[in-house]
Amino acid sequence: MRPIDRRIWLLLPATLLLTVAFLGPVGWLLARAFTFPQPGFQNFELLWQRPVYLRVMGNTLLISAIVTPIVVLLGFPVAHMMAHGSARLRRWLVFLVLVPFWTSLLVRSFATAILLQRHGVINSFLIGFGFIDEPLPLLYNLTGLLAGCVQVLLPFVIFPLYSAMARIDPALMKAAATLGAPPLRAFVRVYLPLTLPGVMTGATLVFISTLGYYIIPALLGGARQQMVAQLIQDQIATFGNWGVAGALSLVLLLATGVLLALLQLTVGLKEIAR
Amino acid sequence: MTRSTTRRTLLAGAAAAAASPFAARAQGGPDLKGTTVVFASWGGAYQDAEKVSYCEPFEKATGAKVVQDGPMNPAKFRAMIASGTPDWDVADVTGGFLEVGIKDGLFEKIDTKLITTSRIDPRFVSEYGVGCIVWSSNLGFSTTAFPNGAPKTWADLFDLKKFPGKRTLQDSPTASLEVALLADGVAADKLYPLDVDRAFKKLDVIKEHTVFWSTNSQSQQLFVDREVTAGVILNGRVYDAAQKGAKIALSWEQNIQQVDYLVVPRGSRNRDAAMRLIDTMTLAENQAKLANLIAYSPTNNEAFKSIDPKLEPWLCTAPENTKRGLVLDQAYWRDNLKKLTERWTAWKLA
Repeated sequence: MRPIDRRIWLLLPATLLLTVAFLGPVGWLLARAFTFPQPGFQNFELLWQRPVYLRVMGNTLLISAIVTPIVVLLGFPVAHMMAHGSARLRRWLVFLVLVPFWTSLLVRSFATAILLQRHGVINSFLIGFGFIDEPLPLLYNLTGLLAGCVQVLLPFVIFPLYSAMARIDPALMKAAATLGAPPLRAFVRVYLPLTLPGVMTGATLVFISTLGYYIIPALLGGARQQMVAQLIQDQIATFGNWGVAGALSLVLLLATGVLLALLQLTVGLKEIAR
Repeated sequence: MTRSTTRRTLLAGAAAAAASPFAARAQGGPDLKGTTVVFASWGGAYQDAEKVSYCEPFEKATGAKVVQDGPMNPAKFRAMIASGTPDWDVADVTGGFLEVGIKDGLFEKIDTKLITTSRIDPRFVSEYGVGCIVWSSNLGFSTTAFPNGAPKTWADLFDLKKFPGKRTLQDSPTASLEVALLADGVAADKLYPLDVDRAFKKLDVIKEHTVFWSTNSQSQQLFVDREVTAGVILNGRVYDAAQKGAKIALSWEQNIQQVDYLVVPRGSRNRDAAMRLIDTMTLAENQAKLANLIAYSPTNNEAFKSIDPKLEPWLCTAPENTKRGLVLDQAYWRDNLKKLTERWTAWKLA
């Protein structure tokens, strides 16, 4: 029998921390869905009986599903320039992507509001140059929410994409050209499939992060952009109702699990992990 | 936030407190040396003001030490009680949480042998907590949007023809439903139990024109950025924005008041000392000190004698303003908040 690699002990601190600080509390909360205030399924019955909970849940999944492709489409060219541009350009891009990443979410959301509001930078510019007469409704609706989510989440797509693209051998594209593929065809048939692991990692990160957003919908969204994290917060902080909060979290977790399973069936999680 | 302008009144108040032999007697003398009381509140400028106005005079009078903690959080409070020995001895809670907590047995009963509750306006004294500050939801409006006369009543808030522009409401049914019913002509003394269907029907009138705020700073920002022309906003926030130069004013008609209470968590290890800290809060000079620092309204009417007269028009318990207002019925909201929050969310989504 081969002796166990003793380096495995190096995993111990991280495992302990995760168990105590993450798995424990999360498991405890999810268990409360079945035990609070008394054992049974009453919390799930409540979610089922009040359509508002399921609507907010559906809303949350829908918003995440809209945010994800936008972030991927915007992040793709940035990652591309990072991977294949000059070293100088790469340094600048990494810097520009990271600076907002280090800035507080709250500050960035207020900054987004300043750009988008009725008398904000964008509307003033458009009115000043005579493109429009009335300010566009860019804030406190779906547009505002999307703008807020997308700007915060871009780095989550750009970095995985960059690492996937940086590993692509440039000779492959040359080979495709030599074999007679026009640039677009070479891109679609050779380059794009090789970036898929990065795309999938980034998209999954973005999708799951958006599901839990709380501050951005409150600050930039409108009445109809209610998301589930807000409901969970209400249940715990206002009502002390750990049971319903746990049930909401569990349903959201299951929905996410089902979506990831679908992803695995279609694209394959192995691709993502590679 | 008003520290620089009111330093003189503050010093005068402190001097008066130190010179008053009555204050020292009410505290029972410096017999609490070695006792440590943990005081939990909402942090920021408010807790700083409470520290100076309640805790430091208490330390001086009794010899006890007060440790500041927080922020107050209902879930944390409950978890503390469930564990048996709360870390906090005195906590600053909202009127809503006071009612919920009474029902769930989270507080020690107020000991009237240690706290002279008669100093406080009886509307703000409960069996399990003593009101320390009062704040109100007011009709706030832009001072530049309506040259032909400003909105005054809640009915004006719903009059989009006479007072055009976007509106803002707090993203919560509490106070919002009262606003809608008062606007629809329900008399203040006939509000409760709320006619919820009627309230939501009235709210439909402005729904498409309304931005919902969820933090107080957001409510100010909406006016500063001219995103809205009128809406529901807290009195202290209008004062703060106006001090910083925003073109905003408020109406006191039909202001809806809510109270913050000091409570003693059940099982506090320093119950008696905690009660005496609350007693220190009830003294007029201490309440005046806090109002001069942060412009929150006192629950002891005597405090107005030492409050900066420039501040008085901004305080909801000032005689002129309190007679135009009403106090939100927290017992009603305790029993209906859950149901009405669900309905509020559904209404917003519809």
